[in-house]
Amino acid sequence: MTALKTPPIPEQRDFPSRLHHPRVAARVGAWLGICFLVAFATGLISHLAQQPDSWLPSRPVWGYRLTQGVHVAAGTACVPLLLVKLWTVYPRFWIRPPRPSRELLLHVAERTSVGVLVAAAIFQLATGLANVTTWYPWSFSFRSTHFAVAWVVIGALVVHIAVKLPVVREALTGPVDQDEPPGDGLSRRGLVRTAGIASAVAVLLTVGGTVPWLRKVSVLSARSGDGPQDLPINKSARAAGVTASATDPAYRLEVVHGATSISLTRGDLLAMPQTAAGLPIACVEGWSAHGDWSGVRLRDLLDLVGAPRGSAVTVSSLQEQGAFRMTHLPAQFADDELTLLALGLGGEALSIDHGYPARLIAPNRPGVLQTKWVSRLEVEA
Amino acid sequence: MRTRLLLGAVGVAVAAYGAWLLLQQDRADLVDTGVWLAGGVVLHDFVLVPLTLLLGLVLIRLLPAYLRAPVVGGLVVLGTVTLMAVPVLGGWGANADNPTILDRNYTAGWLVVAGVTILAVVLTIMLTLGGRSGGPGARRR
Repeated sequence: MTALKTPPIPEQRDFPSRLHHPRVAARVGAWLGICFLVAFATGLISHLAQQPDSWLPSRPVWGYRLTQGVHVAAGTACVPLLLVKLWTVYPRFWIRPPRPSRELLLHVAERTSVGVLVAAAIFQLATGLANVTTWYPWSFSFRSTHFAVAWVVIGALVVHIAVKLPVVREALTGPVDQDEPPGDGLSRRGLVRTAGIASAVAVLLTVGGTVPWLRKVSVLSARSGDGPQDLPINKSARAAGVTASATDPAYRLEVVHGATSISLTRGDLLAMPQTAAGLPIACVEGWSAHGDWSGVRLRDLLDLVGAPRGSAVTVSSLQEQGAFRMTHLPAQFADDELTLLALGLGGEALSIDHGYPARLIAPNRPGVLQTKWVSRLEVEA
Repeated sequence: MRTRLLLGAVGVAVAAYGAWLLLQQDRADLVDTGVWLAGGVVLHDFVLVPLTLLLGLVLIRLLPAYLRAPVVGGLVVLGTVTLMAVPVLGGWGANADNPTILDRNYTAGWLVVAGVTILAVVLTIMLTLGGRSGGPGARRR
């Protein structure tokens, strides 16, 4: 009797499919690289937009809606592309290292860079997709970690391109099926097309959260687009703990500039000249929706306390805790004629979940910074 | 070669900046980040890909040659889209305080996606068969 033999460790040649080929990997990889770069660029914009001293302009009004929608869509498109790409090159995982020498060092360096790239890429897609559904099964901060790992992905991607440049060049000259052995089943061209179709389908099934006319098609979108006053919310009044304070008749809005300060009731605000503005709420999670807001121009309120143009404003909420209880509104937003202290939405009074009695709404701003239940505006020195 | 070296150096610098950013976290968060970074690779390389390869072997045995391409194509689309949809299908991010998130019937949605995929696969097979004179028994290719 012999002991059970351990199965042999597979080698690259044990994967005979003609689809494990650089001509497939280079093509799917090129699309994947483009999607990652688009997600990176739009992610940087989002990161910048969330900095307190952001210098991003307040126009176009739909700017953040577009870039953040593209950010999440590009990341979603990466999922099928990454899976197909990794399957295509999987046999290389089992390549035996060369004999100790200079080649071994290079081999280890390349494998390490690929390992870092794969780990970081999967991490970005997994955490991003979870964040879209506001699911956080980890202890680290999503925003700062997703931002840091983004640099790792792009760095490792550039290294990977540098290493593979000759292979990619060779693979991309000539058609994908050049020298393809005949056989049944999916062809190389078929696999590349399938990856592209899967990627487009993934986007189509989710993008309705930000493209209203695709809502019915996007059956896997984390948001249907419904909500109070036809607009989704991220934090309810109850979750923010403001139900009592927001409906208290003693509510006053404080507007402060140095020693000057005024105190206004919602009635006082409604008695001021009202401005209407059609502005989107565009959230970092990738959903967005258009709202028809009405209220007092923020600039008019700043004029009441004699704040000069070019002043930045600290906006505080009735909310007693939470990271976005206080936001810093840079001057270019404070001075924009479309920036409102909104009192109404869609022709009705603002609902409590949208920030009753008054909320901030500014053009081209991430939703988390559109402070709800505003209690105080303080002009910064 | 010089271009490649330059690219490589830029890449290393960019990735190192990301690593430096990561190291600003406290130890517990750093460990958690490491677990998630490594966990994704382990799940992918040692669970997902072997399962996919196994499924591929089974399909090659079971499916006649003329069915392989459309069926595999359909499975790639449905499989990858399903993985993409794991967070909405699981619904772990649902929040009783906020009915505007995860507010669709995702199981029904997924079934529709699966149904449409199957329909597309069947149509592709019928079109391929129609394009050939002999049908499945002909063994032309």
